Amino acid sequence: MFEQPLPRWLGWAADPEQMRRAPFLAGSPLFTGLPRRLLARLATRFFEKMYRPGEIVFEEGDPGRALFVVVEGGVEITRATPQGPYILNTLGPGDAFGELALIDDFPRSATARIVTPGRLLILYKSDFDALIEGNARIAVVVMRNLSRLLAIYARRSPVRANEPGAGREAAGPL
Amino acid sequence: MTPSRLLVWGGLAALAWLARGLILPVFLAAALAYLLSPAVAWADALAIRRSVAVGALFAGIIAVLVVGGFLLGPGMLAEGGALMERMPALARQIDVGLDAVVRELAESAPALRRLLPEGGAWVQRFVLNRGPGEPGDLFEHVGHLFLLVILVPFFAFFLLRDMHRLIAVAMDRLPPQHVETSVAVWREVNGVIGRYIRGVVLDGLVVGALAALGLWAARVPYPLLLGAFAGLANVVPFVGPLLSAAAAGLVVVLTPGQGLAGVGRVVLLFLVIKVLDDTIIQPFTIGRSVHLHPALLLGSVVVGSHALGVLGMIIAVPVATVLQETVRLLLEHRRVLARRDRRRRPESLVA
Repeated sequence: MFEQPLPRWLGWAADPEQMRRAPFLAGSPLFTGLPRRLLARLATRFFEKMYRPGEIVFEEGDPGRALFVVVEGGVEITRATPQGPYILNTLGPGDAFGELALIDDFPRSATARIVTPGRLLILYKSDFDALIEGNARIAVVVMRNLSRLLAIYARRSPVRANEPGAGREAAGPL
Repeated sequence: MTPSRLLVWGGLAALAWLARGLILPVFLAAALAYLLSPAVAWADALAIRRSVAVGALFAGIIAVLVVGGFLLGPGMLAEGGALMERMPALARQIDVGLDAVVRELAESAPALRRLLPEGGAWVQRFVLNRGPGEPGDLFEHVGHLFLLVILVPFFAFFLLRDMHRLIAVAMDRLPPQHVETSVAVWREVNGVIGRYIRGVVLDGLVVGALAALGLWAARVPYPLLLGAFAGLANVVPFVGPLLSAAAAGLVVVLTPGQGLAGVGRVVLLFLVIKVLDDTIIQPFTIGRSVHLHPALLLGSVVVGSHALGVLGMIIAVPVATVLQETVRLLLEHRRVLARRDRRRRPESLVA
């Protein structure tokens, strides 16, 4: 259960958006294990944006500069193959994608497209870097979660993830 | 462009022209908002409503100003009053010195006589007797100052409270394919400006305090006023420290009993402060926000001074840094996209 940061008698001063965002992030696999105080600080760094179906969040080969968390709606992750786009995964509320942008400067390895109207939270890399400079714990927890996710993907996909037929579960961090 | 759109843009341009007097208050308000934004971010992390946090912050600032006014105000007022009282005598002293220099120059180099200014008592004529030309001028200056004192906190309050909403609206209007790079550029620009403004203010406070303490220890008159001036002038790169040293040196020259040794002490003090500022204080305060080549830094200050005077010199460094960061990000974006497009092209087309 996510504790309320303010005492009950100060409820009138509470920001409903922030009260909603931090517990939401706590449920995302990438941020599991972060203490409430750090999660609340992290939550302030996110931008929120509405997307319409069919809109491309980013394309394969684009420069990767941010992490996205799905708040509402669905996002389809595809990769271009000679036979056409291959769907790697479909993400829903709480799922994060584009997380590799937080650790390297390589271009995006897949395309993210909105399939149902939705809202995404966007965390820019330099904001994350600025935050972890003063809070090594955030870096440790997020990197541990990311490594865990990578390990899960690696165990699930004995064949190369970008080969058609490798299975939807083969889609790893982008 | 359709006629209606042309009309809208024309109307906006006319409105901007009419509101040009608000540029300075808005600029100062933005600087104040950047200065205070870490406190608001801290309140955000505690899930405190923006309006409550910003209101409490401003109440706190007013309380600090009132307490600070009680503690430092009497001393600064006394120094200011004493300086104003001594001003006519000081001006006469400076004029006598200047007259002597001009006479000496005219005698030693008669060819220069035509180039030298005529008359005398320059300080008395141009500083002391330079009262407002018309009665309306005085009210105009006081009115401008009053407007600044009212408008700057007013705009800063709303910038701090509503900026995140404005950004959210702008984000929703952006085409999705530009969001990531736009956020990248905005966050870099925001970070650079914020760190620079907070760094410059902290740097000015430390330099001002060091100058006031040093001048007080060296028994130079008006240490509080000169320290405050040194802190304020420090905002102007290169020229500021020179101006504050010159002001303190002038006060020493005009103070009986201080002599050349006093001037030497002041020069040494400001030299030590400058070295400390460059080697220890600035790396901690401004260091991380500015990554400009020294030549580019100097060039930006010169260009800023030509374009907008003192204001241009103050904003030159952050503007140049922001431009550099924006260009770097956009070029990087273009390079990555070009590489992607090359990879997508059929092999037969690749040279």
